[in-house]
Amino acid sequence: MKAKKVVSALLVAAMAASMFTGCGDGTTGADSNSVGDTQSSEDGGVKEFTAFFAVPAGTEINDDNEIQQQIAEITGAKVKETWLTGQTAQEAVGTLIAGGEYPDFIDGGDGMAQLYDAGALIPLDDYIDKYPNIKEFLTEEEWDKLRQDDGHIYWIQQFGNIYGEEKATTHNDEAFWIQTRVLEWAGYPEVHTMDQYFDLIEAYNEANPTMEDGTTNIPYTILCDDWRYFCLENAPEFLDGYPNDGSVIVDPEELKIIDYNTTPTAKRYFQKLNEEYQKGIVDPESFTQTYDEYIAKLSTGRVLGMIDQWWDFAYTAGDSIKQQGLDKQGCAYVPLPITIEEGMKNQWHNSGGVLNVASGLGISVDCEDVEGALQFVDDLLGQEVHDLRFWGVEGEDYLVDENGEFYRTDEMRTNATDTAYKASHLCTYSYFPQYSGTSRDGINAMKPEYQAKEFYDSLSTNVQDCFAAYGAETYVDMLGTSEAPGPWYPMYSHSNNMTTDTEGGLAWAKMGEIKHEYLPKVVMAADFESAWEEYMEVYESCNPQAFIDEMQAELDRRMEEAAKYE
Amino acid sequence: MKKFRERRRKTSIWDKLFVICNTLFMIAFVIITLYPVLNTLAISFNDGTDALRGGIYLIPRKFTLKNYITVLQKNNLITGAYITVARTVIGTVLALVANAILAFIVSRKRFLFKKQLSLFWVITMYVNGGMIPTFLLYKGMGLTNSFWVYVIPGMVSAFNMLVIRTYMNGIPDSLEESAQLDGAGYTTVFVKIISPLCKPVYATVALFVAVGQWNSWFDAMLYNRMSDNLTTLQYELMKLLSSVTNQGTSAEVMKNASGAVTPASVRAAATILTMLPIVCLYPFLQRYFVTGLTIGGVKE
Amino acid sequence: MASLASKKKEKIKEPGVKITWKEIKRQKVLLLWAAIIVVYGIIFYYLPLGGWLMAFQNYKPRTGLLHSEFIGLAKFRQLFSDAAFLKVIRNTLAMGVINLVVTFVMAIVFAILLNEVKSKGGKKTVQTISYLPHFLSWIIVTGILHDALSSTGIVNELLLKFGILNQPLNFFAHPEFFWPIVAFANVWKETGWNAIIYLSAITAIDPSLYEAANIDGAGRWARIKYVTLPGIKPTIMILLLMNVGNVLNAGFEIQYLLGNGLVQSVSQTIDIYVLKWGISQNDFSIGTAAGIFKSLVSIVLIVIANQIAKHNGEERLF
Repeated sequence: MKAKKVVSALLVAAMAASMFTGCGDGTTGADSNSVGDTQSSEDGGVKEFTAFFAVPAGTEINDDNEIQQQIAEITGAKVKETWLTGQTAQEAVGTLIAGGEYPDFIDGGDGMAQLYDAGALIPLDDYIDKYPNIKEFLTEEEWDKLRQDDGHIYWIQQFGNIYGEEKATTHNDEAFWIQTRVLEWAGYPEVHTMDQYFDLIEAYNEANPTMEDGTTNIPYTILCDDWRYFCLENAPEFLDGYPNDGSVIVDPEELKIIDYNTTPTAKRYFQKLNEEYQKGIVDPESFTQTYDEYIAKLSTGRVLGMIDQWWDFAYTAGDSIKQQGLDKQGCAYVPLPITIEEGMKNQWHNSGGVLNVASGLGISVDCEDVEGALQFVDDLLGQEVHDLRFWGVEGEDYLVDENGEFYRTDEMRTNATDTAYKASHLCTYSYFPQYSGTSRDGINAMKPEYQAKEFYDSLSTNVQDCFAAYGAETYVDMLGTSEAPGPWYPMYSHSNNMTTDTEGGLAWAKMGEIKHEYLPKVVMAADFESAWEEYMEVYESCNPQAFIDEMQAELDRRMEEAAKYE
Repeated sequence: MKKFRERRRKTSIWDKLFVICNTLFMIAFVIITLYPVLNTLAISFNDGTDALRGGIYLIPRKFTLKNYITVLQKNNLITGAYITVARTVIGTVLALVANAILAFIVSRKRFLFKKQLSLFWVITMYVNGGMIPTFLLYKGMGLTNSFWVYVIPGMVSAFNMLVIRTYMNGIPDSLEESAQLDGAGYTTVFVKIISPLCKPVYATVALFVAVGQWNSWFDAMLYNRMSDNLTTLQYELMKLLSSVTNQGTSAEVMKNASGAVTPASVRAAATILTMLPIVCLYPFLQRYFVTGLTIGGVKE
Repeated sequence: MASLASKKKEKIKEPGVKITWKEIKRQKVLLLWAAIIVVYGIIFYYLPLGGWLMAFQNYKPRTGLLHSEFIGLAKFRQLFSDAAFLKVIRNTLAMGVINLVVTFVMAIVFAILLNEVKSKGGKKTVQTISYLPHFLSWIIVTGILHDALSSTGIVNELLLKFGILNQPLNFFAHPEFFWPIVAFANVWKETGWNAIIYLSAITAIDPSLYEAANIDGAGRWARIKYVTLPGIKPTIMILLLMNVGNVLNAGFEIQYLLGNGLVQSVSQTIDIYVLKWGISQNDFSIGTAAGIFKSLVSIVLIVIANQIAKHNGEERLF
C-alpha cells in the first residue's frame, strides 16, 4: 500500500512537472523574445535603456524609485542599471563578448579594453559635437586623451571632473592620519616629518595608554588586506614629496621614471616602521587583520594613527565614531603634511580632477537609439537633473536658504546614507558622467559633500578646534594643495591596465606579489638590515627594470601628446 | 555466573561513560555549530554603523529591525521568491526522477553497459568546459533568458546518481527476481519494488537538490541577467552582498563607490532570511533518515 | 547486512552478461532510457568540453573559439615552468588531502555517534543544528574565525588562562597554522551537512541485526564495529572514491578570505593562481589549461582508486 502511494505521488509529481514544462514553454518563449527588445523600447513615452557596469560598486535601485521617475519625466528616458555580481570584470566582459549581446550603456571597468578590442562599442566622436553638455564635459585635450589607437573616442570618463571653481573640503586621498586628541594633548604642534609623527604618537601613548573608558590604545595600525595594502607600500613616493602617480615617481624636471620601492626614503620608511614595530607601537596584528577587523578597530576609537585613503575608512569607521560621540573625545582623524625631511614640499593633495582614461561610459553596438542614449547623458549633465541626482528633491532632501544656498538637516543627512532610502528614493546614476566643483548657479557645490557650510556643520567641535589651531578650515587646508604636476598625471592609469602579456606587465604583477609577502616580513624582522637585503634580492629577481622601461615609454608618449597643445 | 555478572557490570560502566562522553560531545558540537548562526542573527538585529566596531556575540547591542526592512524592500523580491520556489520544486522533482531512473539502470546487474554508463557519468564530475563555452552552448540552445536554464542543465548529476545507486545495490536481488518471475517488467520493478524501498535515499537526494536549487544564483546572474521576471531570490540578495566581496577590485573603483558598500548587518539579515525557509523544509525530510524505516521485513 | 557485504564480493567476480539480441530485447526499456540519458549527458557535460580548445589557443574574446591563434602546448609549458604554479599545486594538494581526511572522518564519526544518541528528540535537534552552518557564506564563517583567533579572541584567552601561552599568539602570521585552520573551518561548516548521507545510510540497516547483536551480548563498540560500520561501508567507499578525485579542488574562497601576505606561500591554491595570473590578466587560456590539468589528475586518481577498490572487492564507482 505504502509503495503504491509513493509511486503515485512520484507519478503525479512527474506529470505536474511535464505539464509545467508544456505550458511554461509558451510564456518563457515569449519572454526570451521580448528581452532583446526591451532595450530602448518605449514605455508610455519614456525610453528605457539598459546599462551594465562591470564594477562591484553599485547598489541597484528599485523600479519605482522616485527620483528616477522625476528624471524620466524631464528627460523622457530612464536606465535600468545592473552591476557586477560575484564575477570579476574580466569574466563578465568575457562572457558578454562571447555571447555577443550587449546592453545599451556599458562600462567594462578593468575589461574596457577588451570591449573596444571586440568591436562592441560605437565611436562617439561624430556625435559629441551635437550635445553641448557632453561637449563641455571634457576639454579638447582630454577628449584626445580618450582616443584609442584607431583615433576614435569610445567612452566618456565619468569621474574626476570639476566644474568651475574647485570646492575642496575633504581630502579623499591618502595621508598619515592622526586623532585630534593626540594633537590637542600636545598643544597642536607642527608635525612635518615621519619621525616627528611617530615621536608624537609614542609620547601621547606613554602619557595616555588608554581611552577615557579604559580601553587600551593602539598607537599605529597598518591595513594590509589583499589589494588594500597599497597604503603600506606606496608611502615612499609621498614622503619624497611627489604626488600620487600610484606605481612610480615621475621626476618632473628630467621627466624620468623613478622606482619608489628602492629609494633611500623607502628604506628609511620601512626601517622606521620596523623600529616602531619592535617598540610595540605598530599593532602586531597589522599584517594579518582583515579589512573588517581594521574597520572595527578604528571604530572603537582606539587607534591613534594610521596611513590610509579617506574613502577607505571615513564612510564606515568615521561614521561609527561620530555615532558613538567619540569624536567629542577627540577620536576623529585629521591628516598631517608629512615628508621624510623637514622643509620639503608635500603633494598629498593635488587640486584639479584626475582623468582616468582607462575606462568610462560607452555605448554598445546593440543600442538601437544612439542619439537618444546620448541625449539622455547630455540631459543628466544639465544643472536641474544634476541637482536631482546628487542633492535630491528640494524640500525633501535639502533646503534652500535666503541666499540660494543649499543645506540639509541632520535627518536629511542620515537619510542620504540609508540603504533602503537610497534604493527607493535616490537615483544618482552613479556611473554616468558627473561633476564635482561649483554649480552653474555659482553658489552651491555640485555635490553635497563639497558644500563648505554643509561640510563644516557636520564636523565635531574637536575637529573644528583642531582646524582652527592650524589655521585651516578643511581637511585639504591641513595638507596644503598643489597643482596637478603635469600632463602625464596620473601614471597609474597606465599601470592599472597592464597585463602579463608584456614583460613590464609581468614584472609589475610579480613585484606586487613579492611586496605583499616581503614588506610585512621586513617590518616584523628582528634584524632589519638582512631582511631588507633579502627583500631587495627577491625584488630584483622580478625584473623591475622592464616595468620601469615600459612606464618610461608611456610617459614619453604622454608628453609627446601633450606637446601638441602647447 | 559471577564472571558473567562482572562483565555485565563492566560493560554497563563503560556504557554509561560512553553515554556521558557522547552527550558532552554532542552538546559541545551543538554549541560550536550554533554559535555562528546565533551570531549572524544578533548582528542582523543590530544597527549597521554600530555593528562596525565588532564585539557583538549573541545579543544585539543596539536593537533595530531596519536591516530586515532594508532587505525586504528590495526590488524584485517577490518575483525572485516565486521563481526560486518554482525552480526548487520543479528542479527537485525532475532531478529526483532522472537520477533515480539512471541509478536504477546502472544498478541492474544484468544491464549490458553497466560499467561504461557508470564511467561516462563519473567522468562528468571531474571535467568542465569552462564558463564561456557553456554560456555559448546554452545560448545556442535557447536556454538563456529562460526559466529552463535553472532546472535542465543540472538535472542529472553523477553524485546524486551514485548515492542512489549505492543504496539500490544494497537491496537484495531476490526481490527483483521474484517479481520478474511474476511477469513484471523493469518499469514495474522500478516503480513498485525498488522505489518504495529507497525512500530514505530519495529524501536525502531531494534535500541535496532542493538546497542546491534554493541557494544558487550564479545561473540567474549569468544567463538571465537582463530578464527581471526570471530573477531568483538568491541573486537579488547576492546583489546586496556583492558590493562587499570585492575580490580583485582596485582602489580606483572603490574610491568612486564611496559609501555604496552594503553594511554587514544587512548582509546578516539577508543570510537569515534565505536560511529560514529551507531550514524549515528539513524536519519534513528528516523523519526519513533519523527515525529509520523498518524495511528489514523485505530483506532476506 | 554483514552477510550482504560478503555476498557482494561474489557478485563482483561474477562474469558480465554477454551482449546477445535476446538480452537486448529483454533490456529494451533500460537501454532506451540509458540512451536518452546519455544524449543528455553528451549535450550538457561533454559538448562544452569543446572549450578545452582554449587551452591550446591564445584565446581572445574578440576572435572567439573558432578564430583565435593556435599556440599548441605553449600555455601548459608556461604553467609548468612557473615555480609559483608548482607551489600552488603543492598547496592545493596538501589542503585537499588534509581536508579530505579530516572532513571525511569527522562526518562518519559524527553520524555514528549521533546514531548512538538514545533520545529521538535530542537526535533530531542536534542534527538540525549541526547542518545550519552549511547555509552561511564563507565570508561570515571566516569573519567569526578571525575574531576567535585574534589576539584578544577566545582561543588566545583560553590558552593564556591555562598557561599554555605567555603572550597572545597571532595564528594568521604563521604559515604552519594555515592548513590546520582551513581544515578546521571546513569541518566546522560542513560536518553536519556531510553526515546526512551517512545517517540516511544507517537507517537502511536492518534493525534485527542490532537486536541479534544485543542478544549476543555485544557491547556498544562491537555493535558499531560489526553492524553500523559494515552497513554504511558501501556509502563510505563511494564517497571516498569520489572525493579522492576532488583533492585538487581544495577551494578558492576560504583561502582567499583567510590568507594574507605573510602566509601566501602556503595559502594560494590553483584556483587563486588562475584568477590572479589568468583571468585578471585577460588570459582565459591559462585557466582552461589549469582546468584540463586538474581534470586529468582527477581522472587518473579515481581510476587508480577504483582499481584498488575492485581489487579488494569493495563498492566502486564503475
